[in-house]
Amino acid sequence: MPLADKTSDRAMSRRSFLRGSAAFSGLTALAASLSPLRELSDFTSTEEFLQKYYKELSPDEMTKVLQRIERDVQRQYGIRPHVRDLKPMDGVEFVYCLNLTRCIGCRKCVHACVAENNQSRNPEIQYIRVLKLPHGSLDLEKAEHHYEAKEVPEKGFFYMPVQCQQCENPPCVKVCPVNATWQESDGITVIDYDWCIGCRYCEAACPYWARRFNFAKPQIPKERLNPEMAYLGNRPRRQGVMEKCHFCIQRTRAGKYPACLEVCPVGARKFGNILDPESEVSHILREKRVFIQLKEEMGTSPRFFYYFDK
Amino acid sequence: MITAARNYGSFLWRCARVATVGDWRYYAWMGLLAAVTLIGLNAYCKQLVHGLMVTGMSDEVSWGVYIANFTFLVGVAAAAVMMVIPVYIYDNEEMHDLVIFGELLAVAAIIMCLLFVTVDLGRPDRFWHLIPIIGQMNFPSSMLSWDVIVLNGYLLLNVHICGYLIYTRYQGRKPSKWFYIPFVFIAIVWAVSIHTVTAFLYVGLGGRPFWNSAIVGPRFLASAFSAGPALIILALQVVRRVTASGSARELDAGRDVGESAGRPATLADFDQLGFALPELASVSEADRERALAGAVVLDVAEGDVLLRQGSSSRNAFFVLTGSVVVKRAEQGRARITRTARPGDQFGEVSALHGTSRAATAVAEEPSRILRLPADGLRVLMETREMSQIVNSRMSERLMITDHALLTLRGIVQVAMIINVFLLANEVFKEFYSGNLHVASSKYLFLGLHGYHALVPWIWTAIGLNLIGMVLLILPISRSLKWLDVACVCCIVGIWIEKGMGLVIPGFIPTPLGAIVEYTPSLNETLICIGIWAFGLMLYTLFLRMTVPILQGRMTKANEGLPERAGPARAVAGSVPPGAATAR
Repeated sequence: MPLADKTSDRAMSRRSFLRGSAAFSGLTALAASLSPLRELSDFTSTEEFLQKYYKELSPDEMTKVLQRIERDVQRQYGIRPHVRDLKPMDGVEFVYCLNLTRCIGCRKCVHACVAENNQSRNPEIQYIRVLKLPHGSLDLEKAEHHYEAKEVPEKGFFYMPVQCQQCENPPCVKVCPVNATWQESDGITVIDYDWCIGCRYCEAACPYWARRFNFAKPQIPKERLNPEMAYLGNRPRRQGVMEKCHFCIQRTRAGKYPACLEVCPVGARKFGNILDPESEVSHILREKRVFIQLKEEMGTSPRFFYYFDK
Repeated sequence: MITAARNYGSFLWRCARVATVGDWRYYAWMGLLAAVTLIGLNAYCKQLVHGLMVTGMSDEVSWGVYIANFTFLVGVAAAAVMMVIPVYIYDNEEMHDLVIFGELLAVAAIIMCLLFVTVDLGRPDRFWHLIPIIGQMNFPSSMLSWDVIVLNGYLLLNVHICGYLIYTRYQGRKPSKWFYIPFVFIAIVWAVSIHTVTAFLYVGLGGRPFWNSAIVGPRFLASAFSAGPALIILALQVVRRVTASGSARELDAGRDVGESAGRPATLADFDQLGFALPELASVSEADRERALAGAVVLDVAEGDVLLRQGSSSRNAFFVLTGSVVVKRAEQGRARITRTARPGDQFGEVSALHGTSRAATAVAEEPSRILRLPADGLRVLMETREMSQIVNSRMSERLMITDHALLTLRGIVQVAMIINVFLLANEVFKEFYSGNLHVASSKYLFLGLHGYHALVPWIWTAIGLNLIGMVLLILPISRSLKWLDVACVCCIVGIWIEKGMGLVIPGFIPTPLGAIVEYTPSLNETLICIGIWAFGLMLYTLFLRMTVPILQGRMTKANEGLPERAGPARAVAGSVPPGAATAR
């Protein structure tokens, strides 16, 4: 009997040893698999994690949020920015008109936009895509996206810059599961970068390929940072959220023109308030005989019009 | 209330304990799955740090294999519950237990779906923005918010149905119909809804002509109803194999208890049965007397065989003391279908229906058994209480018959034919009309402007689908070997067709006409494999806990006894013939 007891003791201790070592190696493996998290540098603060939805923030809370953003930007870029929450103005509905006869495809608008809106330089994010199309066709499949030319315009082609069309009936807003993107009363579709969960459903829904996703942490050289920022506009974004053209909200809601318009060397771009009958855009839509809403058949009703002179 | 909570707690505790017990194959399998899951977790941690940059996705192709797998698995989850239909609507007895396996598969599939969506999110830390009240749910406008609701609802429904049925079986209680039948019917409708809503996720996007087609929804359902049951056919055969307790030859051992053995039963024996079977009280003294005609009490030793599979006799049995294990030989392996304890019956099915014995019953320990001729059992079943309890216990057995697998084959067959037909419709519409919207289909099937990454995939899928369909139509797939081949063809074919073949070409070319191809990165692939491994691990755990309960090996009655490793290795068969003496 004592012998039997001893063997069963030994069996027990062998079993518990095996069990213990299995548990130990399991935990070690778990820790090892979690180890990349040590490189996580860009932690979300509790304040940011618990931040309320844009439309539910009281003015006081908004002030605190703006201060937090200013602190975050200063910590990261060493520059104290000026972040504002600009509201839409009454009696204003913005419309963009682009003269395809004039556009020469120089892509100055693309780069002015990147600089103004603090877009990531690496990986590269651009809101405007200029398409090079052969004369006589609007079939986008014939478009060349990455044309390299010594001199523009090239003979036999015309150029069509495409950016967010600020639809009256935006498919991206309809599909967002968390209301992180919506249309404001001045017609601009905006994104709350602090509310977006990064599902990219809006990107799939957009018929104009106007939305961009931050696949990595955006990188902007310190000296290139534009410190004049808006909450719904050009403040730096986090990794994993959507962004897109917002008609330079930080400029246009403060009475300035969008950056892409100002830089255009040929005056192909026109911007203004469609509710004002005297505005340039009202004049164009009234007087010009030919204008295009891109993919009109989608029923999205863009606030971005393409037209030709004569 | 407290007792109920304690009972449930001890049930969960035993489930957890049984999950850690198994033979070396079980440990090796779970160890492998755990290792692969951890590799996936490691890859996900890298993605958390560096962002979705580590995937093959881009602004051009903004969804990839995560969403492809998600779409496929929603189908599996939906289809798993559609197996319920033959059971509850057509009253197909043989499929009864299989329903639980189907629903457990649905639970595992939904959890995998939720994981695939989570790893696809750019900001998983903000998941709470989706929760109504504390967050902002764009309901009913966003199809994705519908999907969140239907998927989670479906998960809850299935957890409730399986959990309830398994727990009542564990307790040896008859499940109350009101507690699960209404949910079963809701789940059937809900199953259609999860897949339709997922299809609408794509169909609703006007800017993507490849998806913006009414046929996508029906195609989703058809492909799900072939891939889902096909997966279950394979899973059931694995269950059947791994829950076998040994070679079928062991069922030939044991000493037969002859027809002439035993002593005539008396009313006192019925009283003894009444202690373990309270429903017997509903039978009057006079009826008990009637039932006594031909009734016999047997005192049997461990290993004695009370009835043998394939034989025919018209006797039913009740256990008075001890326990009897019922085993069935299937494809050369012996498998426990139920365990009868005091108050339980066995052998009643063939007694009542006059069919040959479906299984062999062996005493697990010295036991006292009441043997009744079929007529005697019918007398007892004249009262409502007795008829209910006997009937409900009749279905308490774990049988995976070939016949049940062939019923599933019928479902896969029809669904696959419809699936291929709908695909042909889609292809015709796209290519015959030849308008500009054909670009994505052209890219998928033929390649576009020199880009053709998906072409080999889709033709492999079509080939597999056709082979699967032809095999299913041909009578050779009545043999399990060919049925398995057909199922694998259908599963792989549909996985490619619905995943890579549906999600990716929707993005190519982009709405602005650019062609950017997509190939999943290594990191992305590891995350996917990790989630699959985790899902398989969950399903294995579920089965590990459920099978002993369905077999009657783990019940409230044997609480406190040591858990047996493997399905009752220690019983019957190990006893040499003639070893038993006591009578």
